[in-house]
Amino acid sequence: MNKEIFSEIPMRTWNWLGVNEAVVDKDLLVESQNLDIKIEADHQEKMLVEYRKESYGIVNINIGENASLKLTQLQLMPQDCDHVNEINVVLEKKARLQLVAVETGAKSFASKVNIILKGDKSQADVSLLYFGDGDRSLDMNYVLEFQGRKTVGNLEVYGGLMGESQKIFRGTLDFKQGSKQAKGYEKENVVVLSSGVRNRSVPIMLSGEDDVVGNHAVSSGKINEDKLHYLMSRGLSPAEARKLVLEAAFNPVLELIDDEALRQEIDSYIKERLENE
Amino acid sequence: MEKLLNIKNLQVTVADKEAEDTSKEILKGIDLQVNKGEIHVVLGPNGSGKSTLMNAIMGHPKYEIAGGSLEFEGEDLTELKTFERARKGIFLSFQTPEEIPGITVENMIRTAKQAVTGENIKVVKFRKELKAAMKELQMDESYAQRYMNVGFSGGEKKRNEILQMLMLQPKLALLDETDSGLDVDAIQIVSNGVKKFHNEDNACLIITHNTRILKQLNVDKVHVLMQGKIVAEGGPELIEKIDKEGFGFLQGAE
Amino acid sequence: MAQEKTYIEDIERTLYDIKNVDKSKYKSQSGLTEDIIRDISARKNDPDWMLEFRLKSLEVYNQLSLPNWGPDLSELNMDEIVTYVQPDAKMTGSWDEVPEDIKETFDRLGIPEAEQTSLAGVGAQYDSEVVYHSIQEDLVKQGVIYTDMETALHEHEEIVRDHFMKLVPPKDHKFAALHGAVWSGGSFVYVPEGVHVEIPLQSYFRLNAAGAGQFEHTLIIVEKNASLHFIEGCSAPKYNVTNLHAGCVELFVNDGARLRYSTIENWSRNMMNLNTKRAVVGKDGVIEWVSGSFGSHVSMLYPCSVLKGENAKCEFTGVTFASKGQNLDTGASVIHCAPHTSANISTRTISKAGGKATYRSAVKVTKNAPYAKCSVNCESLMLDDISRSDTLPTMDIEGDEADIGHEATIGRISDEAIFYLMSRGVSEDEARSMIVRGFVEPIAKELPLEYAVEMNNLVNIELEGTMG
Repeated sequence: MNKEIFSEIPMRTWNWLGVNEAVVDKDLLVESQNLDIKIEADHQEKMLVEYRKESYGIVNINIGENASLKLTQLQLMPQDCDHVNEINVVLEKKARLQLVAVETGAKSFASKVNIILKGDKSQADVSLLYFGDGDRSLDMNYVLEFQGRKTVGNLEVYGGLMGESQKIFRGTLDFKQGSKQAKGYEKENVVVLSSGVRNRSVPIMLSGEDDVVGNHAVSSGKINEDKLHYLMSRGLSPAEARKLVLEAAFNPVLELIDDEALRQEIDSYIKERLENE
Repeated sequence: MEKLLNIKNLQVTVADKEAEDTSKEILKGIDLQVNKGEIHVVLGPNGSGKSTLMNAIMGHPKYEIAGGSLEFEGEDLTELKTFERARKGIFLSFQTPEEIPGITVENMIRTAKQAVTGENIKVVKFRKELKAAMKELQMDESYAQRYMNVGFSGGEKKRNEILQMLMLQPKLALLDETDSGLDVDAIQIVSNGVKKFHNEDNACLIITHNTRILKQLNVDKVHVLMQGKIVAEGGPELIEKIDKEGFGFLQGAE
Repeated sequence: MAQEKTYIEDIERTLYDIKNVDKSKYKSQSGLTEDIIRDISARKNDPDWMLEFRLKSLEVYNQLSLPNWGPDLSELNMDEIVTYVQPDAKMTGSWDEVPEDIKETFDRLGIPEAEQTSLAGVGAQYDSEVVYHSIQEDLVKQGVIYTDMETALHEHEEIVRDHFMKLVPPKDHKFAALHGAVWSGGSFVYVPEGVHVEIPLQSYFRLNAAGAGQFEHTLIIVEKNASLHFIEGCSAPKYNVTNLHAGCVELFVNDGARLRYSTIENWSRNMMNLNTKRAVVGKDGVIEWVSGSFGSHVSMLYPCSVLKGENAKCEFTGVTFASKGQNLDTGASVIHCAPHTSANISTRTISKAGGKATYRSAVKVTKNAPYAKCSVNCESLMLDDISRSDTLPTMDIEGDEADIGHEATIGRISDEAIFYLMSRGVSEDEARSMIVRGFVEPIAKELPLEYAVEMNNLVNIELEGTMG
């Protein structure tokens, strides 16, 4: 098959881990749908991007000084399609980005997000929800690049994996020299519901600047036994209890979706998948 | 009475973190004298500048003295670095003490005591003193080998501050008790510690907006700080009044 | 009475830098050819299988390319490296028989002194060959073997043949292949079942010749329910030409056994340190790594633990201090292959004066390792804004019964912490160095006292001039 590198981590590591690059079918990259957006200075915008059919979507955004954007990107592709998507954002001085991304569909998908905190005091808050089941393959590469002074970047990732799904999440905080007093935070929590899962995480932190605060944390595991026990003591079956815990884990992201109908759609989609476990 | 601390028309600014290169005046001309043997209290609502006053006396680099004078035992403090002030005999009990991984409580206090006294401190004797002081404060001995404040509860951190005060025996102890979140236990630790520490030859300056802390102490003088100025002064009776009425009756004093 | 640690006396950095006149008896030609390898093998009187092994490794070496990740290795020109330097000395068990200049070197490094006071055995390698080896009589009586690899190859050929480069096969990477082709020197330790070696053994590796490579092989086998603490030290004087270190360490920790492997590495700053260390741990066994990386120009060092038996454990504690002209790429990897295996990785890195420190790790949990537990904690301290600090961990987890946690922080010394210490009367310089020493304390406390002192001295030397 004809494969091509779609995304790479900013700093390579051992090849045997297979995390250095995401490779996708060349055909998928042939035709892209591009969306170029400029948020004018001092403006506040909200945007929703939905992927529901086979596609390669690219969203390029520039957020002007003091402007803010809330971007919600929902990937709800059918289970038999492949998909790639890409978000590139540049933030000017004091600009703000709130990115809410949900990746629940597609047979196999790769996504890359590149956020450049260029202007001083710009801030990006990224919340990502991914969910994998069956034999699906999930590949994500998120990079937050801190250039300006006093920039803030938060990357919070909530994942659930079941069936024989395979996932790679790469999250990079890259503090460039001069990003004085920047603050970066990255967290990934993964709940794994079945033994057939392969779960890879690459939390990268790069720094050429001393006057920064960077933290990352990953936790991966099955659901806390005590928590399950507590719920079961209230009458829930093991299956019900696990579902409830997973739903609770996703809530921080779901709550950020403004459109009630969409939130419901995702919620019931995940519930349905859990039922079919 | 021997004058220890003498503050005249002290003006302090702070580099504003939000607006670059501009500075904000927090203390707008403070007069305060503390003599040996006295306990002074500075009361005031949140944001009145109490902690700034403490930090300015201790020489925190973030705070700049824009005017007035700051003397300790007749000597100008303003040009002295923080550690030089400490070596003169000033001690600050922090509102939120720093956690310092890798440095044990014992090592910290011994290093500090050597620095402050300029003498080589003998280990055996020091250990004995430390043990006694810890016992006094009902601290478990094992805390001597734990890293500074790492994993300590609020009350334990407070105890550790008071322990350092007892061990270092400063001439002037500044106690920043601004944190309204202090529990009853912590309050007890501080007031007991001060009672144990205080004598004819030293003095305490306690900052708080929690007046319970003062119930067990013989306070000599009370200063009320609002919006960077001292708006009222008096004896212990002022504490009671503020306890009952709050700071409201002083609002017009500016 | 408690023993006091002294931090006052500095070991002069020049102590490591004193170079002896190169009086080597024989030096191979620089570069790497079949002839050179045959020549080394003949001089070492290798058994036939070893010559074959070397030649096979050379083939692999020629097939493999340099890694396409990690530090830039383009400065390394193998054609200029002398792979074998035989000192003019015979292996001996008496310091009196060691040539004066070589003995002086080890005296300065404090090796014979430590042997008297705190070690149960010592090995000392000078360039490509081991010049001294000793072990306490009572350990010999218990069946403990501690000798140089060459002697082991002849006297314990079967054991060596069964284990040599079985854990790190030459095809693993280019420098493992190089090692397989030109290895020389190193130590062999065998601890029989149930024997506890209470006092550490130490091997010290000194590279004196300019433009040379050191390729020592360390093979340790700790049998069932036995235990050992092994210490490895290394240093070299500084030259203007590139030196290469591509050692290989293979550790076999059998069921219920425990091995602690401590290293303080202080190579000079013209050294390319491309070292491979690996341990395999059986049921209920424990491998503990304590690793201090201070020297070298470029380092790539990631001790790997293969947790093969149920309930096997790995503890890794490491500190890396990268200063001017250094690119230190260090870390660890753990492979969980059995149920209930657990690992704890804790590292500290410091970078200053343009130095580059990278923490790189891999945690792999296979399907056969339910209930695996691994926690990684990695803290980086930057002392200025011209240095670099990068953290690149990877986790690859199969199955749903693993419990994996990873935490990393990056930052500088907080102004508030300095103010706090200064408010206690400590000067600003002292406050900084206290904080840095505190930062590396979790590692220092894992080291034997002399090494903790040495490490603190190294930290102090590094911090001089950065203060104020």
